Amino acid sequence: MWMRKLRILTPFSQKLLFTKRETITISSSYCKPEFDFHTVEQFFPQYIRRVNFRGNNLGFCGRSLFSCEAAQRNSCWNCCNAKAFLVCTDCGCVQPVDHSVDYFKIFGLEKKYGIEGENLERTYKDWQRKLHPDLVHTKSQKEREYAAEQSARVIDAYRTLTDPLSRAIYILKLEDVHVDEEEKIDDVELLTEMLEIRETVDEAADSQALKQIQEQCGVWTSGQIPIQGKFEQSSISFADALQSRKYIEALAAIRRMTYYKRANEEIVKKL
Amino acid sequence: MAEQAYTVVSDSETTGEEKTSSTFPEIAIGIDIGTSQCSVAVWNGSQVELLRNTRNRKLMRSYVTFKDEVPAGGVSDELAHEYDMLSGAAIFNMKRLIGRVDTDPVVHASKSLPFLVQTLDIGVRPFIAALVNNMWRSTTPEEVLAIFLVELRAMAEVKLKRPVRNVVLTIPVSFSRFQLTRIERACAMAGLHVLRLMPEPTAVALLYAQQQQQSSHENMGSGSEKIALIFNMGAGYCDVAITATAGGVSQIKALAGSTVGGEDLLQNLMHHLLPNMDDLFSSHGIEEIKRMGLLRVATQDAIHKLSSDISVPINLDLGNGTKLSKVLDRAEFEEVNKGVFEKCEALIKRCLQDAKLEAEDVHDVIIVGGCSYIPMVRNIVTSICKRDELYSGMNPMEAAVRGAALEGAVASGISDPFGNLDLLTIQATPLSIGIQADGSNFVPIINQNTTTPVRKEQIFTTVHDNQTEALILVYEGDEKTVEENHLLGYFKITGIPPAPKGVPEINVCMDIDASNVLRVFAGVMLRGMPYMEVRMPTVDDGHGWSAQALHKTYGSNLDVVTVQKKTQH
Repeated sequence: MWMRKLRILTPFSQKLLFTKRETITISSSYCKPEFDFHTVEQFFPQYIRRVNFRGNNLGFCGRSLFSCEAAQRNSCWNCCNAKAFLVCTDCGCVQPVDHSVDYFKIFGLEKKYGIEGENLERTYKDWQRKLHPDLVHTKSQKEREYAAEQSARVIDAYRTLTDPLSRAIYILKLEDVHVDEEEKIDDVELLTEMLEIRETVDEAADSQALKQIQEQCGVWTSGQIPIQGKFEQSSISFADALQSRKYIEALAAIRRMTYYKRANEEIVKKL
Repeated sequence: MAEQAYTVVSDSETTGEEKTSSTFPEIAIGIDIGTSQCSVAVWNGSQVELLRNTRNRKLMRSYVTFKDEVPAGGVSDELAHEYDMLSGAAIFNMKRLIGRVDTDPVVHASKSLPFLVQTLDIGVRPFIAALVNNMWRSTTPEEVLAIFLVELRAMAEVKLKRPVRNVVLTIPVSFSRFQLTRIERACAMAGLHVLRLMPEPTAVALLYAQQQQQSSHENMGSGSEKIALIFNMGAGYCDVAITATAGGVSQIKALAGSTVGGEDLLQNLMHHLLPNMDDLFSSHGIEEIKRMGLLRVATQDAIHKLSSDISVPINLDLGNGTKLSKVLDRAEFEEVNKGVFEKCEALIKRCLQDAKLEAEDVHDVIIVGGCSYIPMVRNIVTSICKRDELYSGMNPMEAAVRGAALEGAVASGISDPFGNLDLLTIQATPLSIGIQADGSNFVPIINQNTTTPVRKEQIFTTVHDNQTEALILVYEGDEKTVEENHLLGYFKITGIPPAPKGVPEINVCMDIDASNVLRVFAGVMLRGMPYMEVRMPTVDDGHGWSAQALHKTYGSNLDVVTVQKKTQH
């Protein structure tokens, strides 16, 4: 099998021959039926990296031959070392998107809802420093494409995790719970509350009054608290429901969060 | 595998990566083309250096004089006197005119410039001409800009002793994508390849990031995140940006911009000094142009003096019996330009709101651009940002071009052993991009201030039973109705299977890549139906016309409406 592959690759290998003689010599000297990639690597680690680089430039490349897709899924496509994540820890090479890596993993977090204290911004910027398309233009076309996808995914992950509502929806999705954001609500209590909020917002005379609805306490009578407080409450009840795996309750909390968030946006628009 | 013999670069494809990669990449130069002044800078291997012209100047006037058919720009040419620039032969303010149609109020305001700007008010490009030997010689803003860029390029090549091809240009935040293509066209005409078009305040943000990183190295600090508000007001435009910087990486949190600047201050004051100015100068005769020039220079001088003085005397003889003699004080100037200052205020407030920040959250307030010397402008910025001190680590006239030169070095793949180029700016979209739907509403798909690169999609449906075609009109802007936004392009989706209205699902996806190229993908969500991939913008001049013609021909026959989104958070 190894031989056949080599034969198919011959025109390509000839091209390599022009640029670097040793290429062919090594390949042909290593003709054994069962090709063990790691052995080659032990012997000629630098050589392999070089061949791969060249292969990328020529488009049709020795990928099926030298890349480790055949070897191990978790290792780097370029140097085949290390357990590669978004970026190979060994050769700094950007990896293709692996959808089994969830957003929490990207940020090195446990898969849980309450991550308020974490410094996402720093990790986000550290990733972008390695992945952002602006910084990888000296690399191969293939790696640039990986970087573009990974960078976009990190942006999305950051956006999703920093917002409590989208984080809640995302975590439920990871639990295979479907969230229908546009469903009609039949919760009478919530509906009346929303109507009340809307009325108060419409009646609010100035931005001072609006700010009060939004965040300040004081003028509110029994049981009525400002929108931001309500949002946080729902967020807490979501965390509780999620922990005890009560998904129906978790969904209800998301519904409330969605509505409070919208109400808050309305207020901000009017401010 | 055979090498590709040649590549055809598509008309709009002037950005994007360099096709040829050599071992030693050419360092792209940074150019700041201001409405009134312009400068060039480059990374010289250890720091950013501003290039000086043969007259040892770092800042050059942005204008081109047409003399006996041989144009000369402000890079090499030095005017004997300011008045020469106002003889009718010099075209300036091209940054205010480029990519605008003749219904644009900015174009109308430019009619008081001492050269010819004619409009038909139908949404086509305005007619612009310079006076050469008593003849109006027609030109375009792109041509003027290209002539100017050729001179800049020649100057840089002499200074750097190497060919210059790659450039990073700064642009105003409020530029539409159509205007960006005009800038790219002008660069292409001048033989320059645009590596990046950077909104001006984000170039300043990059310089700020570098300064912060350097100072954190010196203090051995951890380099915690710092938030800066950047206010940039030049002759033509006013921009605000908020950036969050840590360890050399800046994230642009929000951008806001408007076509308001020193030119507006100047015109308002001219109208105030000579209320019947427009009637006096409407005929554009040689004498009128001269008078217009006299008034312009006198007013400009007065504004400059009012930055340091409380009042300034104006004595002007326009030669036709009209004489101006008065003492103008600062309060009067501020009253006349109240509207302009209010707009600046609104921009800063909006930017803070969009970034979801309070004035107290901002660590540094940076003010740059020619108008940063005006006391009122400084007052506005300090009072909204609630502080006494402004950031002082930058030269207001050089900050943008220095940032552009840094980006030029970073984007060319240059690294610095001292880590001075370990920089990255994560950009955000200055304007929303969406399509016309639900009547003549503008439905944004990518919202303003979204971090790029980005890809977003939304589902739409038909408005008529058995509607088999749908027109996708792509707009850019932040107004509610499409008429107030910029049309970027349009295309038709065909082959929608006959079905009751509201049933077919049309997916519209928008993608902005790292080089800021916008692609729109759209199609019916059906197996076997091909999708469209369209690179925007597709409209050329006269897009005001296109929109009207489309509406007249198709009415609402091919409309779409939004389907409540499922795919987005």
